[in-house]
Amino acid sequence: MPPATRRGVLGSLYAGNARSVISRGLLATRSTNYLVVLSGFFEPIFYLLSMGLGLGALVGTVATTTGQEVPYAAFIAPALLAVSAMNGAVYDSTWNVFFKMNYSKLYQGMLSTSLGPLDVAFGEILLALLRGAMYAVGFMIVMQALGLNLAWTALLALPAVLLIAFGFASLGMAITSYMKTFQQMDWIAFVMLPMFMFSATFYPITVYPVAIQWVVQALPLWHGVELVRGLTTGALSDAMWGHVLYYVVMIAIGLVFTTKRLKALFLD
Amino acid sequence: MTLSTEATTAEYADRALAGGIKPRRWGSWYIAEHRFRGMRAYYQTILATSIGNPLVYLFALGVGLAALVPQGIPNGSGTISYLAFVAPALLATAAVTVAAEESTYPYMMGFKWNPIFFAMNAAPISGNQIANGMIISIVGRILPTTAIYFVVMVLFGAVPSSLGVLGILTATLTGLAISVIISMYTAGIEEDKGQMAMIMRFGITPMFLFSGTFFPLASLPWFLQWIGWISPLWHGTELGRVLSYGYPEPAWLTAVHVVYLVGLSVLGWMLTQRVISKRLNK
Repeated sequence: MPPATRRGVLGSLYAGNARSVISRGLLATRSTNYLVVLSGFFEPIFYLLSMGLGLGALVGTVATTTGQEVPYAAFIAPALLAVSAMNGAVYDSTWNVFFKMNYSKLYQGMLSTSLGPLDVAFGEILLALLRGAMYAVGFMIVMQALGLNLAWTALLALPAVLLIAFGFASLGMAITSYMKTFQQMDWIAFVMLPMFMFSATFYPITVYPVAIQWVVQALPLWHGVELVRGLTTGALSDAMWGHVLYYVVMIAIGLVFTTKRLKALFLD
Repeated sequence: MTLSTEATTAEYADRALAGGIKPRRWGSWYIAEHRFRGMRAYYQTILATSIGNPLVYLFALGVGLAALVPQGIPNGSGTISYLAFVAPALLATAAVTVAAEESTYPYMMGFKWNPIFFAMNAAPISGNQIANGMIISIVGRILPTTAIYFVVMVLFGAVPSSLGVLGILTATLTGLAISVIISMYTAGIEEDKGQMAMIMRFGITPMFLFSGTFFPLASLPWFLQWIGWISPLWHGTELGRVLSYGYPEPAWLTAVHVVYLVGLSVLGWMLTQRVISKRLNK
């Protein structure tokens, strides 16, 4: 029998049992909101059909960051993939977590067992990633069928999408821990809309003045869009390592932050 | 406190009946007032999105995306700038977004989560008045939203014709048509199984994307164009374009837009009244 007390540096935070948080989440999804979860897959598809087919007819081709001319649909498809990773992760890590935290008091229950705050944080984030992975695979298949994956590196877009989702999920959960009312939650959407519209999603950022380009480049979604677009169009560059690094740092900050907050809220 | 022994039962009854006169007459407006007061809880986000959304959308689509469509959009014998083309569509979309928001959860709230509709109905306020009040309050939120949107459009130089100001009314009418259709559905929901998310995902979002908002409906393949024809948003957008920059279309088609939107509004309003009254009197 292993000892009942946890040891090590993370002993007070982590019981190595994030999987029980995940299995609880899956069970809850299956019994209550699987339709909502499944239907999330269609949103980026609708955007791709509308913008790719309709707007693509007006626009023709667009140049990527590396100067390669690609059809408009192939330009926006990777952006929509990155956006759907962001949306899925943010939805799961904000609204879902908000309800569990403030209404169903789920984390209080979990933390009164042997689970630690890091178990809860990991479990919730991995759950969000699972959902993100499901959407991403579906969307990649549609892209392949429409001929929008222009290079074999498109395969690497899958892990890239998970990286993006991980970044947004870990940070989103930390931010949610500060939210107390529904009205405050609305501000999340308020921040996400401009990020969605301005992050080189629908057109290259070269249309902006340089100062605005810098602001956009500081935001996480732009790095995600550039990373995924580089991989699916095959326009590779060294800058992509920078995008990856951005997300690694974001994940690290988010995890530390979330764990601290959960500890402060429920254990101190 | 003195105990009044004078009043008889008949007097109490008279007093009670007298107290009900005003609510019976003005009940619809009382309900609307109740909703407006409720909106104060989130007035900050209402204000922020009312001003922020037009800025973000007009800048991103009208200025940013327009850079990819420098030739403009075909308009009769000439062309029209992409900004002027997309602006009336965004105006109507703003009305629809607010309509959807105010016609979903507020009904769940009133009937289920905090069932105040039943309490109102127990007072001398009828189901029809509750329906009217909700719809008045929804229009009352759409109208200022579209007015602010229009001002931002003018600041962007996106409204060539002065007739464009009537777009505020046609956009509001579009919002009303959508709102009553959603209302008659949401007012009847007994069990919350994520229907709201479904309305957004399979109703509002595809409508936004396939109603000729970002590009002329004719650019879409034929098998997707029917979405536009039945979409109130498409009719509202086309009306807005006729007013804003004189989009050339036959007069009968303009008339169809108006009749379609008015027809949906009247029909949806009546059905919403029926659903609410029926549910309250069950």
